[in-house]
Amino acid sequence: MPDEATTAQKAPATEPAPTTGEVLRVEHIAKSYGPITALRDVNLHLGKGEVLGLVGDNGSGKSTLMKTICGFQKSDTGRMFLRGEPYEPRSVDHARSLGVDAVYQDLALVDELSVYQNLFLRREHLFPALQLVHNRRMRREARAALDQIGINIPDLNAPVARLSGGQRQAIAVARAIHQQADIILLDEPLAAMGAKEGALILDLIQRLKDEGNVSLIIVAHNYVQVLQICDRVNLLQNGAISFDKPTAETSLEELNEIVVEEYRRARAALGNGAPAAPQTATRR
Amino acid sequence: MATAAERTVPAGAEGPGQRPPALGGAAGLAGRVLRGFLTLREGSVIVVTAITIIYFIATTSNFATADNFKNLLPYFAPFAILGAGEVFVMINGEIDLSIGAVYLLSPFIFEKLAGAGLPLVPALVITLVVCMLIGTINGFFVAVVGIASFVVTLGMLFALEGTTLVISHAAPAAMPGTSTLSIGTFAQVFGGGTYSELIWALAIVALLQVILTFTRWGIYTVSVGGNRLGAAEAGINVHWNLMRNFILCATLAGLVGILEAVRTTTATPDPSGANEVLFEGISAAVIGGTLLAGGSGTVVGALIGALFLGVLNDGLIIKGVNADYLFLYVGIAILIAMTLNTFVQRVRKGAGRA
Repeated sequence: MPDEATTAQKAPATEPAPTTGEVLRVEHIAKSYGPITALRDVNLHLGKGEVLGLVGDNGSGKSTLMKTICGFQKSDTGRMFLRGEPYEPRSVDHARSLGVDAVYQDLALVDELSVYQNLFLRREHLFPALQLVHNRRMRREARAALDQIGINIPDLNAPVARLSGGQRQAIAVARAIHQQADIILLDEPLAAMGAKEGALILDLIQRLKDEGNVSLIIVAHNYVQVLQICDRVNLLQNGAISFDKPTAETSLEELNEIVVEEYRRARAALGNGAPAAPQTATRR
Repeated sequence: MATAAERTVPAGAEGPGQRPPALGGAAGLAGRVLRGFLTLREGSVIVVTAITIIYFIATTSNFATADNFKNLLPYFAPFAILGAGEVFVMINGEIDLSIGAVYLLSPFIFEKLAGAGLPLVPALVITLVVCMLIGTINGFFVAVVGIASFVVTLGMLFALEGTTLVISHAAPAAMPGTSTLSIGTFAQVFGGGTYSELIWALAIVALLQVILTFTRWGIYTVSVGGNRLGAAEAGINVHWNLMRNFILCATLAGLVGILEAVRTTTATPDPSGANEVLFEGISAAVIGGTLLAGGSGTVVGALIGALFLGVLNDGLIIKGVNADYLFLYVGIAILIAMTLNTFVQRVRKGAGRA
């Protein structure tokens, strides 16, 4: 049929072949900081409700990639698609308005502000007349939002400085979800967390996964945790994705082997000299 | 002070996790009231100021008189306004050292404009716009260029004090709109009336405390001071927040300069006096409980801090302290009061508020 033929011809020209339920696609992203190449050529895709683990050594470009996706900085080349539409975030705010949000290692929480103030930071409810903040409404909604994702924080007026690492992380995630994000990037959500704290976050991620509304990219160091919670794992090496497999089809050994192999190759390339320094950037 | 109560009462009332175990009887009630009071950020400075006032009432016969209250006002109201502006910049984690210099310069700008034939109110407005520009320049260098505010505003301090000496030819000038014979409406409103400065101080402090506690501007100011990178990541316009706080600070300093010049009917180009004004303004903010490190502060606290300084100066004069010894005693008193303040704050932290 002529109709079908036209669409088939047109589709690849404008956008990639539509994958069922794909929410985010990254194509040929590159980014340099002066002489340092952080991202060389990154291709990545994320399905609806999927939990993608992004692993890689220090300096492999994980944070740069994350900041590019969530609008904190622009890539030099390449393009991105959000739910099939071209996606060019101008700012963090813009990305967030499109439903893409990030939870950073430093969490972007303000210690001095209360739980609910943090939850609504940059999204405060105001009384329309005087533009004063509507604290009661924010407290009420904060309680509901935290209940909904199963986080128990007794005192919403407490400054977040008094909360544990796990609670802080949970609030940051709750904030992203509450602000209507359905693609959330988590930067090292389990770093520097005790077993109990980690369990709180793993529970939260599992619950989000079960609900299936939110797609997650989890940037992590720890392969064990990634294999435990993610549906699929991508390995970032020297500024490009070198490995992409469902977690069910890979193993800790395989991931380790790839990374160690890279190190060996780098050392061999330098002859019998000292262990090679990483070839890529170490800046975030 | 009403604003401080509004701010913290709901907070205390809705924190069941923090409520002390119910105590019986009057002692329990008193304990709760004391505890509730100490959870106020301003609690400690209120205690310290009250002790100072009681000391002067007890040891002098004419401290607690209406006349003395009027004498006290100029020692207190201007610094409350300066401190209020400085609080916003300090919560940002920055400092504005140029407020004394703006204070020094603004009456001369006003005097030149009025002298050139401009009516008083437009002259005042233009003067304040110039002060806003000065604040914008401070903010620009701090936020956009990225120079430490200490350095930027120190440079501004010297530049403006120099400018003042140049345009005034180092000579005092009579303030337009004022005369020793009759005080016009303009002068009544802008510093000349007995309670004019007090009313300005109370109104500005109330307004700014509401802004700090109940508006995005205030919440973002705390955010920028508490976690600047995090604030930027959350989507807050950090540059704009810094800029507007420097603008606020400079504008208030300019206003105080005019209020004081109208009150004394003369603008005096005295840089050392201006530097003293600067330190009193910053002291008011710090004594009031605003952290030099940023992230936390209170406008009402600055008002009470200014009151403390005013009471101290006025009380020591009433006690007949030798003028040569005045600064020495003020300095020692500030150290003692701040030690006490720190102690009370520790009790307050124990009462459950960071």
